[in-house]
Amino acid sequence: MNEIHCRINGTDYTFSFPGERRLLDVLREDLQLTAAKEGCGEGECGACSVLKDRRVVNSCMIPVAAVEGCEIMTLEGFRQTPEGRCIVEAFSDSGAVQCGFCTPGMVMAAASLLFENPDPSEVQIRTALSGNLCRCTGYDMIVQGVRLAAERGRGLW
Amino acid sequence: MVDVYHPKTLEEALQFRSSTGAVPFSGGTDIMVRYRTSHGVLPDLPWPIVLLGHLKELQYLRLRKGSLCIGAETTLTDVMDHELTPPLLKQAIGLMAAPALRNLGTLAGNIGNASPAGDAVCALIALDASIELASPRGRRVVSLDLFIVGPGRTILAEDELITEIIVPIGEGHISWYKKVGTRRANALSKLSVSADWAVDDNVLTHVRIALGAVAPVVLRCRDIEDDMTGMKLPEIALQREDLMNRYKCSITPIDDQRSSAAYRKQAASNLVGAVLDEMTGGR
Amino acid sequence: MKERISSPVRRVDAYEKAGGYARYIADIPFDHLLYGKLVRTSIQRGRITGIALPDLPEGYRFISEGDIPPGGVNQINMITSDWPVFTTGEVRFCGQTIGLLVGPDRQVLHELHKAVAVTYDIEEGSSTIEEGLACRGGAFVGEDNIYVEHRLKKGDPDAAFSQADRIIEDVIETGFQEHVYMEPQGITVEYSNGQLVFHASCQCPFYIRKAVAPSVAMNLEDIIVHQVTTGGAFGGKEHFPDIIASALAVAAVAIQQPIQVVFERREDISYTPKRHPSQIIFRTALDRNNRIIAMDVDARINAGAYQSCSAVVLQRTMFSANSVYDLPNVSIRGRAVATNTVPSDAFRGFGAPQGIFAAEMHMSHVARLVGEEESEFKRRCFLKQGGRTVTNGTIHEQVLLEQMWQDISLESGYYEKLKSNPSGSFRGIGVSYYLHGGGFTGNGEQALIDSHVRLKGMKDGRVELLLSTVEMGQGLATTYRKIVASALGIDISRTIFLDPSTNRVPDSGPTVASRSIMVVGRLLQRAALQLKTCWDGTREETVEIGYEHPPWVEWNQETLQGDAYPAYSWGICVTEVEVDRASFEVETKGVWTIHEVGRAIDEQIVHGQVNGGVIQALGYASLEKLELKEGRFYQNTLADYMIPTSLDFPPVYSKLVENPYEYGPFGAKGLGELVFDGAAASFAAAVQHAIGRPVGRIPVTPEYIMELMSDE
Ligand SMILES: Cc1cc2nc3c(=O)[nH]c(=O)nc-3n(C[C@H](O)[C@H](O)[C@H](O)COP(=O)(O)OP(=O)(O)OC[C@H]3O[C@@H](n4cnc5c(N)ncnc54)[C@H](O)[C@@H]3O)c2cc1C
Ligand code: FES
Ligand code: FES
Repeated sequence: MNEIHCRINGTDYTFSFPGERRLLDVLREDLQLTAAKEGCGEGECGACSVLKDRRVVNSCMIPVAAVEGCEIMTLEGFRQTPEGRCIVEAFSDSGAVQCGFCTPGMVMAAASLLFENPDPSEVQIRTALSGNLCRCTGYDMIVQGVRLAAERGRGLW
Repeated sequence: MVDVYHPKTLEEALQFRSSTGAVPFSGGTDIMVRYRTSHGVLPDLPWPIVLLGHLKELQYLRLRKGSLCIGAETTLTDVMDHELTPPLLKQAIGLMAAPALRNLGTLAGNIGNASPAGDAVCALIALDASIELASPRGRRVVSLDLFIVGPGRTILAEDELITEIIVPIGEGHISWYKKVGTRRANALSKLSVSADWAVDDNVLTHVRIALGAVAPVVLRCRDIEDDMTGMKLPEIALQREDLMNRYKCSITPIDDQRSSAAYRKQAASNLVGAVLDEMTGGR
Repeated sequence: MKERISSPVRRVDAYEKAGGYARYIADIPFDHLLYGKLVRTSIQRGRITGIALPDLPEGYRFISEGDIPPGGVNQINMITSDWPVFTTGEVRFCGQTIGLLVGPDRQVLHELHKAVAVTYDIEEGSSTIEEGLACRGGAFVGEDNIYVEHRLKKGDPDAAFSQADRIIEDVIETGFQEHVYMEPQGITVEYSNGQLVFHASCQCPFYIRKAVAPSVAMNLEDIIVHQVTTGGAFGGKEHFPDIIASALAVAAVAIQQPIQVVFERREDISYTPKRHPSQIIFRTALDRNNRIIAMDVDARINAGAYQSCSAVVLQRTMFSANSVYDLPNVSIRGRAVATNTVPSDAFRGFGAPQGIFAAEMHMSHVARLVGEEESEFKRRCFLKQGGRTVTNGTIHEQVLLEQMWQDISLESGYYEKLKSNPSGSFRGIGVSYYLHGGGFTGNGEQALIDSHVRLKGMKDGRVELLLSTVEMGQGLATTYRKIVASALGIDISRTIFLDPSTNRVPDSGPTVASRSIMVVGRLLQRAALQLKTCWDGTREETVEIGYEHPPWVEWNQETLQGDAYPAYSWGICVTEVEVDRASFEVETKGVWTIHEVGRAIDEQIVHGQVNGGVIQALGYASLEKLELKEGRFYQNTLADYMIPTSLDFPPVYSKLVENPYEYGPFGAKGLGELVFDGAAASFAAAVQHAIGRPVGRIPVTPEYIMELMSDE
């Protein structure tokens, strides 16, 4: 495969990287989109979460060739949208953020949930966040952050 | 650096596969972990890969001749959320990894990975699923149970791809699923039990019990199932301990970083007991 | 109306973090950056006989002992200096630094790293406390593998034991725990104009400076450490950054280009320090009425292959070994045992969680054996104001445990649940009581730290806070600014707190030991009050003040006698569980906590600490199994080392009671560690109740429960 075409945060890109290169590395190193973090590099922690065609995925698991023709959204793009602003504000108000390393991934996981289900229950929220490890908060305030975003963002999703 | 093929169609994928020996790559959630290296470094893939996860023609769920046919590249999320999916499979997928992984992973990958701890595999085997394999030479359908022959080993031919999973619809069947993971979510199985059975007039007419992560492959004990079939439920209840013991003797678990052989044996037999209780209304 | 200090404000760092603007070390670009990859020992114990390097392409270097500049020593200057920067001969554990491969392309480095071949003479090593004490493979620290040993005595235990009606023996054990700060370790170093500049994910910028200086023979002033946004630490970034920074310092001086080391998660789990495993043996003497008349405690902690801070950790373990109980006659022996494992180090609680877990479990075992309900049994022994600690110090403050228990036992329905779920019913409820001494142990604050803070009032009416204690997730950037703003009577938006850099701020000490608010926050409050008297907000004015010890605190560091801590924070945790009869999995049904931390500087931040600490402790108690296999950690990925997810535990009920402390800012005491100290014991006690058998160690895995159940 010679060229990879995709759209990232609304901009069209054409890459000629080795196809097996991880999407996470492309985002962080070539595009300086560093909101997605590497916490484990093996699908366990969710710090690298981004949206692929509006669904949350682990960018450390994706060879860049696999996003051919896809639409990728990172927090840098998402925070510019009304939905993004809503979650970022709700997290900030809820105490959902401590060290913040897991937070960008949490925001993307929350986005994916709310796109599918604008009024999630506590269990649905916890399930949606279950692939995103946080070692600081104990999760309760993140769950509250998602709930607050759902409430404040009625009609938005 | 390896060659990465991005076919437009299944036909093209089969060509790439047969002409270059490229290894099938669906969600990549097993492959990318196995060959991961380090940030800023390419995964250490030992062979070229052919990407399949994007092939729309292999993403579907539809009914055909009393069976549910699932396109091999349907994501775990889409399989789980679909109304046609049997509850047992839904439950098993619902406890696999976490949403982001389920948005990438596929049934083809879970099967191709051939891990004894594959959760969807365990449910599918209890459901008597078979799979369709395609190659430029044609197509064949094999029972999933026979497809996987050892940890990481299958009878997939060099030029073949898994294209479809075929799950017979067991009208009126009852199912039961339990995964014992290393924690409550986003965890691999220490062991798992999938059961599917049917009862007619207090007689067990059909039973499949599949045990995950307690042997080199997902295990079904056909002899025990055969013995149980045709038995009256109260009889099964009477033989509870005996049946549990037979299962206990059939499994060959190992000690690993997640659990111990002793625990797996004990818990597996206890869970078989729970299946029997559910079946017979016991305890 | 004046706002209460405790009323929550939005965290000052929340938006930049939630929006992904915050930059952690791996996010910050540097020109001409080189990458470093540590080459490490792969055996547990022995000697290196040879190192074969692949041909290094141009631009790639292997930095090792030979690169230490003239005058430098191969030693890291920590609390002790036993840990070398680069291992040369003796191998004490698997994962010791041999050298640092440096170069511009990580792909090439990766290949080179795989091609380094080290040969060894392998010797037998020790992994466990027992093996260390038995000097398996021969002692490598002194003649007995003991780094330090202390003894404490309160009352006359010998006499009491001789009068005992009954003596109960017990062994309580805890395992390793990995920090799993979500951001792995990472440091970038630059070298120019004779200065070394570190950008580090760390807790203690001044520690790094001190640690690396001898290895490169440089003046402290020429070494600058910038703390960058730190993605969690929990003690794991207290000393370990020193290890990376020392190797980087030597490399940077040799190569004179920026170099970055950022760990992989597997590397981080495999080779960075863990919480000390412990084994605590009790002998408890009871009189005819089943009252405890004496307790003998033998506490051993697994310190690993180098000493690091184990001596101080051991003291905390010992000082916590009676938890919240005032027993009349006590003897405590403590030993930090050398083994061939990654050196154990600081981790939230710093030895106290082990001591408290052991004490709580032992007390509950004694209660069970004498047939008393455990909360009643324990409460009879509560420390009270004026009571005596195991170091023969005095509890100066009012102790509110009894009142807190009334509250939380009702809230959790403790007594009804106890009644409706008899022991062995597979449902259980458990409680633990705990305390945590704020600040450094003993005279550490005066003798070791002597912290200073500076406030700079500016012409534009804003005030900058200059100090070295860091924001690492716990909320200090917010609480510090709140303290200063409140004391000055200005809006928080007029205060500034930047991540510290050793060339800009005075040394307010390390970010450890639940001292950041109680001790350093107090300094800020005092400085602010002083600034208020001399600054009108229109010109520049600077105030710097230093630590003053509360005058009534008496402590003898030689004999470890007196007030080990000036004040304590207190807590109670109740946990309810259900155990699956088939799989022995434990489902936690409810968690209720109540804490007394003097006064909350910000309630939202405090509840966040409670939630995070409790869940981390519940992970420690149930999931976080970390075993050694031939000296290597067996669970070395996040797929195998299990920390809690959002689905593992229910929401944590958290309540606070106030009891302002005169020497804390606005009455605040320590918090960060307290909230970790107790949940493990309440969980284990609940499981114990559910299965009707004593639980003697954590993690309480289903495998362990099966073992306990199979004694039928
Ligand atoms: C964090 C994490 C958690 C996980 N949790 C679970 C869990 O709870 N339960 C569980 O069972 N698994 C789990 N897994 C493993 C994995 O996600 C599943 O096995 C998943 O179903 C794999 O699908 P995939 O499409 O990503 O596979 P891939 O990685 O693409 O492929 C896996 C294997 O299948 C082969 N293959 C793929 N597609 C085809 C095809 N069409 N034809 C032939 N061969 C093919 C590949 O060559 C490879 O050998 C987890 C993985 C991670 C990283
Ligand atoms: S970095 Fe991708 S899941 Fe952890
Ligand atoms: S806020 Fe630190 S890991 Fe979640």
